[in-house]
Amino acid sequence: MTALADAGRAPPRRSLSTFALSENGIAVAVLAVFAVLPLVISGYPIYILPQYMLFGVMAMSLGLLWGFVGILSFGQAAFFALGAYTIGLAMQSDLGVNPAYVGLLLSLVVGGVLAALAGYFLFSAGVRPTYFVLVTLALSIMVEQIAVSQSEITGGWNGMFIDRMTVTVGPWIAVSLSADLPAYYSVLPVVALSYALLRWLVSARFGKILVGIRENEDRMAALGFDVSMYKTIAFAISGAVACFAGALYGTQANFVAPSLGGVLFSTEVVVWVAIGGRSSLLGALLGGVLVASLSNYLSAITPEYWQLVQGLIFILVIMFFKGGLAGAVAGLGRRGWRRQVAP
Amino acid sequence: MATTLSVILDATLITLVLALAAFGLAIIYGLIGVINMGHGAFLTLGAYLTWATTHAGVPFVAAVLLAAVGVGVVGLVLEHLIIRHFYDRPFDTLLLTWAFFLVMTELIKIVFGTDFRNVVNPLPGALDLGPVKVPVYRATIALVAILLIVATALVFYRTTLGIKIRALIQNREVASLLGLDIARMYKMVFVVGAATAGLAGGLISPMLSVDPYIGNIFLVRSFFVVIVGGVGQLLGGTVIGSFFIGGLETIFSLVSKQVFAQAVVFAIAIVILRFRPSGLLRHR
Repeated sequence: MTALADAGRAPPRRSLSTFALSENGIAVAVLAVFAVLPLVISGYPIYILPQYMLFGVMAMSLGLLWGFVGILSFGQAAFFALGAYTIGLAMQSDLGVNPAYVGLLLSLVVGGVLAALAGYFLFSAGVRPTYFVLVTLALSIMVEQIAVSQSEITGGWNGMFIDRMTVTVGPWIAVSLSADLPAYYSVLPVVALSYALLRWLVSARFGKILVGIRENEDRMAALGFDVSMYKTIAFAISGAVACFAGALYGTQANFVAPSLGGVLFSTEVVVWVAIGGRSSLLGALLGGVLVASLSNYLSAITPEYWQLVQGLIFILVIMFFKGGLAGAVAGLGRRGWRRQVAP
Repeated sequence: MATTLSVILDATLITLVLALAAFGLAIIYGLIGVINMGHGAFLTLGAYLTWATTHAGVPFVAAVLLAAVGVGVVGLVLEHLIIRHFYDRPFDTLLLTWAFFLVMTELIKIVFGTDFRNVVNPLPGALDLGPVKVPVYRATIALVAILLIVATALVFYRTTLGIKIRALIQNREVASLLGLDIARMYKMVFVVGAATAGLAGGLISPMLSVDPYIGNIFLVRSFFVVIVGGVGQLLGGTVIGSFFIGGLETIFSLVSKQVFAQAVVFAIAIVILRFRPSGLLRHR
């Protein structure tokens, strides 16, 4: 059913064709396409795609939670916006070192620590998953409201402008990311790295325990696993990833406003992940990139009707295709493999 | 003295308006366990239907009743097409009702546009209570909220229907074995909840500018009202929860900006949810 199950069911002898059909194989292909894309096209798509890739990273942070632990958060965008504000504030201040690095590092810490605190607070009391959704929904409203009301710091409704960062290596190299091409090629490795890291995490023992919790929490507790601790760690990682992606997004988009952390954007992420496939990290990543791109493209033509269609697709996915696009592809792949083995 | 009195009055009025807004949610969540994320859309739709019908010349009271019926019909369609297949999967109903919210909001935007709409206040003016003045319309709404809660209490505790509903909450299987048509009861509760939300949306509409997202503010507050009060504690819970959320909001907005006050109240509600997940009214 899931990509994880697929990985476990892989045939003992791994030929090139089975690798190409596996999630990692597809991921390599997709990232390769992204890598050569600027050679083929230029202009607006190259400017905007890094932002959507970072949306994809945020979507993966939700995929980790929703797909592998069975916890749904309506507050991922709150962490994303928090990251953008963090780097914005860091870059306004006068620091000895490269302020963007400080901002990026801080965003990891801020996102991770806040998520760990909120997660521990809630999970240690065994708050049920539906209430967790409501609490994270409230958190995203709170972040939006605080961003609006603390206008001396955040700029309020008008938002905050953030410069593009400069990549420095010691005193020797300094590359400004103000041009689109270097920006593109600095975001892409981060996306690839985030994917690889999360992918490694879910296929390691930690990920297996998370899936165990998703499938049967009581049994995992009976087996001696500290369920609330594992959930807290998963949420902390998810929060840190979303916050970090948000920080990069902030310097990439040059701008952050309160609505970036709001309810509507937070739940948009849920729609991406549902459509892309909640139990596949690649599905979530592509869900984010593709649905956001499609939204941008179609919103220019027919904004209301696209949102409407997206909502209807969301309903259909929840009702009939729980695996989303990734689930559909995995189903096709499995069918093809069976045919090869037993004609 | 006068300010204390006006704060108390303010808090009472806000409490009752909040109770009115949350009541439809309390019915659906408390009785059949559906986390209805579409509640905000029901409220918004009720407000827009009221705006449209009053604009077409229908008297206000009739317009609000029409809005309730209209939202009830939308609820019926939603329940019949989608929700009834998912009663045993609460998490999916949560997602599906949220999807309904997204779709409904877009439909509202397409039909009514995104501009602010104003419903004319049918009862302008203020009651002069000596040191303080109370807007007549707000006072009326508060009265309606009390009436609605009392009427529901009567249905609940004094009619056969009420006995059936209470049997349903206490033990679904046994109620079904005793011959209750569970599917029909669920449908009825969902539709009544939707219609109540539509009624509330219509009644609230003259007090604020109507835009496609007004339901949003009330969605989370309504949930906290229901959870803080105690899920299934339809009457006392809703009032206590509203008093808590509305009262705190009034007090905090005395000392800080209103948006910030709301964030603080949410934080307090989350703390309560953590330590008393079944609400303030229940001891265990």
